[in-house]
Amino acid sequence: MPEVGPLRNPYRPGLLRIETLRDETPDVRTLGLCFVDEQEGRRLGGWEPGQFGEYTVFGAGECVFAIANAAPDDDGGEPPRVECTFRAVGKVTTALRGLGAGSVIGFRGPYGNAFPLAEWRGHDLAFLGGGIGMAALRAALCAVLRHRSDYGEVLVLNGARSVADLVYQEEMPAWAGLDGVRVVRAVDPGGETADWDGEVGLIPEVFERLGLAPDGRIVVACGPPVMLHFLFEALGKLGYSPGQVITTLENKMKCGFGQCGRCNVGSFYVCRDGPVVSWERMQALPADF
Amino acid sequence: MEQRGWRLSAEDVRTWVDRLIAEGREVIAPVEGRGPRVFRPLGCAAEACLDPGKTRWSPKEFLFPRTETLYHYRLRADGPELHDPPLAERERVLFGVRPCDAAGLVRLDEVFLDGPVQDPLYARRRELTTVVALACQEAGPECFCTAVGGSPMGTEGVDVLVLPFGADWLVRAVTDKGRALAAESWTRAHAGQWSLAADQVRRVEQRIARAPVAGDVAAVLERRFEDPVWQETARRCVSCSICAYVCPSCSCFDVHHEGDAWGGREIRCWDACTFPLFTRHASGHNPRGGSAARYRQRALHKFAYLLPDAERTTRCVGCGRCIALCPAGIDIHDTVTRTAAGAEGEGADA
Amino acid sequence: MREPLPERPTASDAGPAAPQPGWQPNVVAMVCRWCTYAGADLAGTSRLTYPAAVRLLRFPCTGRMNPMFVVKAFEQGADGVLVSGCHPGDCHYVQGNLHARRRFATFKALMEFVGVDPRRLHFSWVSASEGTKWVRVVEQVTAAVREAGPARPPAGGPDSAPPADAETARRPASAEELQALAERLRRVAGELLEQQTASIVLGYTRGTLPDRAVPGFITRPEQAQQLVWDSGCHHNLSVYLPRTRGGEGKVAAVVKRCDVATVVGLLQERQLRRDELHLIGVQCDGVWEGDRLAARCRACDGTVPALCDVAVAAEGARAQQVAVEPDPRDAAIAHLETLSPDARREYWQGEFERCIRCYACRAVCPLCYCETCIAEKHRPQWISPAIDATGNTAWNLVRAFHLAGRCTGCDACARACPAEIRLDLLNRKLARVVEDRFDYRPGTDPAQAPPLTEFRDDDAEEFIL
Repeated sequence: MPEVGPLRNPYRPGLLRIETLRDETPDVRTLGLCFVDEQEGRRLGGWEPGQFGEYTVFGAGECVFAIANAAPDDDGGEPPRVECTFRAVGKVTTALRGLGAGSVIGFRGPYGNAFPLAEWRGHDLAFLGGGIGMAALRAALCAVLRHRSDYGEVLVLNGARSVADLVYQEEMPAWAGLDGVRVVRAVDPGGETADWDGEVGLIPEVFERLGLAPDGRIVVACGPPVMLHFLFEALGKLGYSPGQVITTLENKMKCGFGQCGRCNVGSFYVCRDGPVVSWERMQALPADF
Repeated sequence: MEQRGWRLSAEDVRTWVDRLIAEGREVIAPVEGRGPRVFRPLGCAAEACLDPGKTRWSPKEFLFPRTETLYHYRLRADGPELHDPPLAERERVLFGVRPCDAAGLVRLDEVFLDGPVQDPLYARRRELTTVVALACQEAGPECFCTAVGGSPMGTEGVDVLVLPFGADWLVRAVTDKGRALAAESWTRAHAGQWSLAADQVRRVEQRIARAPVAGDVAAVLERRFEDPVWQETARRCVSCSICAYVCPSCSCFDVHHEGDAWGGREIRCWDACTFPLFTRHASGHNPRGGSAARYRQRALHKFAYLLPDAERTTRCVGCGRCIALCPAGIDIHDTVTRTAAGAEGEGADA
Repeated sequence: MREPLPERPTASDAGPAAPQPGWQPNVVAMVCRWCTYAGADLAGTSRLTYPAAVRLLRFPCTGRMNPMFVVKAFEQGADGVLVSGCHPGDCHYVQGNLHARRRFATFKALMEFVGVDPRRLHFSWVSASEGTKWVRVVEQVTAAVREAGPARPPAGGPDSAPPADAETARRPASAEELQALAERLRRVAGELLEQQTASIVLGYTRGTLPDRAVPGFITRPEQAQQLVWDSGCHHNLSVYLPRTRGGEGKVAAVVKRCDVATVVGLLQERQLRRDELHLIGVQCDGVWEGDRLAARCRACDGTVPALCDVAVAAEGARAQQVAVEPDPRDAAIAHLETLSPDARREYWQGEFERCIRCYACRAVCPLCYCETCIAEKHRPQWISPAIDATGNTAWNLVRAFHLAGRCTGCDACARACPAEIRLDLLNRKLARVVEDRFDYRPGTDPAQAPPLTEFRDDDAEEFIL
């Protein structure tokens, strides 16, 4: 960006074109995005699972969500394709939902820290996603599944309020088809349909029922605050230590890199020091959620 | 540090300022006119007001503007076209800045320059700005720079320091950037004059009666996160943002998109942790939904949540404007020192 | 994404004062769909010709037209605005236009006061059968706007601030008198808490700055000793009333005569319940800021209104009879009204330019109690958060207008404003418009409805074409 002298304008987004759209649920959509300018895509390089981006709908504003896919491993010269899964709740996400394939949006990032995948090597893993929370875990899950042999057993527990609210329904069979991967689908009591063959119950209950021993297992969980609250209780009962449990935090964000001042929990800036955080670290933060 | 410096008459100072303007610099100084005394760009030296007292708000807006464009966009048939805003080009002199305000600029630098991402707009303005500070001729009842490591003649963030000396002024370059503003022809001051002038400022300093903020304040406040003091004090808070907007070191902002079917811009404008909407999620959940949580955030952001490599122990520079201007009479120095001293809150925190 | 249009129309972006050759005025006409729109349609089908300068925006009813739309139109560069709907009695929704008539009468006065050239803002009643009247109205409006020339930002020309307030003959109450009142006040507050009539007393306590009283919340009888009363007790504590819960007991509040007026406003608007309140009225000889008597106090005798549950007043003969003086805000308004619209516009732009959007005006205003303020609504974003001429003008106008017919002139906003914007004059001007037109004075009768929520069939409409 030559006009800004030696420093790059951190707010100026790159341009992405919407290539694919997939409706996960009535209000959740996954977009497949490719760079309008391939050079720009190559400059971005990659990102680590867990990092997030700021997406601009021109005329509406910016919104923040996790990058839902894993970056290509080596840069084979291919510009990366970015995926994101979002729910239409506010002004910008509603506008984003109104866009069709071919529309151009802005993207800046990646921001934030990442899941410590290197530390997970050799461990059994459990990915627990509640509702759209699964979107924050998907990149890590994709990276793990791509290097399946580096990790132990993988459990994916994908839960939602109802069958209609369950995200990534199309992808789950492929995940489950891999060796050593178990996919459990769950819906809240009352959310099941007549032909539902998954689990019924809240995620903490369902996880407890699975009876997975804590030894060395890493639990990666993301979901609404109330789910995490009860999940941590359940994990405590099962003997999981706080260091074994990892989640992602969410707060209102604007800049994405620790300057605008709103996403902090104590001196922990979710955008800069998070969003990935261990349960252990979380316990040390002040109660300012 | 060079102790000699120069002695300038009031007339010399006016000539100096007029020269700085004539050389193409934008000179920004306290100006009195309709409304309160605030920093404004000068047309000529005579407009500047170097009387005792401070401006209504700090000059931070000249480095961190109330609102600025981050990029423009136009929507064309083949997609959006983005343009970066122009960078500042003109050299600037912030003239007559009080030492607390100068220290506040260093707090802004910590946010906009010292982190992982440097802000190009800020960086360029900062590079082009020279700070001429004016030692205080009086201290108000709200002043407490000395309680947070500052001084009425402090030089943090200062390029040139000016001390009142009777009807004249003593001028000293603190940095090379400051030295570049000096003139060959100026009369040298002698050391005796400096110590006299400094004594005068020290007398002002002694009038600052507020208790020092303890060095371990950060740890203590974080321990007292659940202290009733936040609730009791913030009960009066009406959730405006005077405290944050007049503050020399408050730097929080909103990033906002303005546009329509033709084009628009992304802007950054001041925002404040005292507003309920500052942290409210699109879902409606608000981590700091009550005024007590918001007031605590502001106090802790000033005194506890420090940047890892910041030099000072507080982000607050003790100008006291938030105290003087709070429509509810909330006093952050009082809250913080009392809380840190372990005073349990009373039912009414009068 | 909508299909992007090639270029933004540049009708009058910062156009020069003198019209360019070939300049055509850009008039936004906000019309009601039932009457004026049909009237305009009739003009078209009747092959009548009229200036092409107007751009029609169709609304369900004039009652739906928020004056903010007009602010927005001018903000976006309209040279003139015409608001038009059904004649009184013809409204499809029976009363929409009658409400609109009051609203726009008040709004027009505000716009003129801040220097919008009256030739730029027009109102008319045009029925579905009045194709020819529509033509006449458009011709008249276009001619007026053409005469006014292209809309332009303030040029930075001369303006003239109101002169300083006239000297007051009044003096602050004596220390002994204030002391006596403070002691009675403490006794009253202590008893209320003691007897559990009230569970909390909102009053004034000593602040940390010298001579500065601050709002205090007293919940225990012995704390009543902390209450103070002096000529610096300027806060309007009623701002805290809607958010203060008394639990078992009532919420008691120390109120001056001016504060009682806003309590009346809050009662009118159902933000408070009278039976949950205990009003401690204190005789007030005026609040002083340094050696200056607050403007609102000059015309106030400071006696305790009858609405109060208890009156804390001097016993026996008063040491000083409070002399009521003319309200200096009126003199300032009169001065501004002698200026040309352009000079007035310069003046107000100069005021608004200082605004830092701290929203203290809103925060301290007891009657600004909306859960989400219009300034923060963003679907659509009516008021830009940009702290610049556009955003600041929109905010200050909309704030003032939202208080028209409601503001009781306590001046809490102007006092809190760190930029010293003369919000008091905007509010006072609107209060006087409302009083002149609708014979209504805010803050007097809790049973009365605010004037812009009702109408009379014979409301004056001399401003409507």
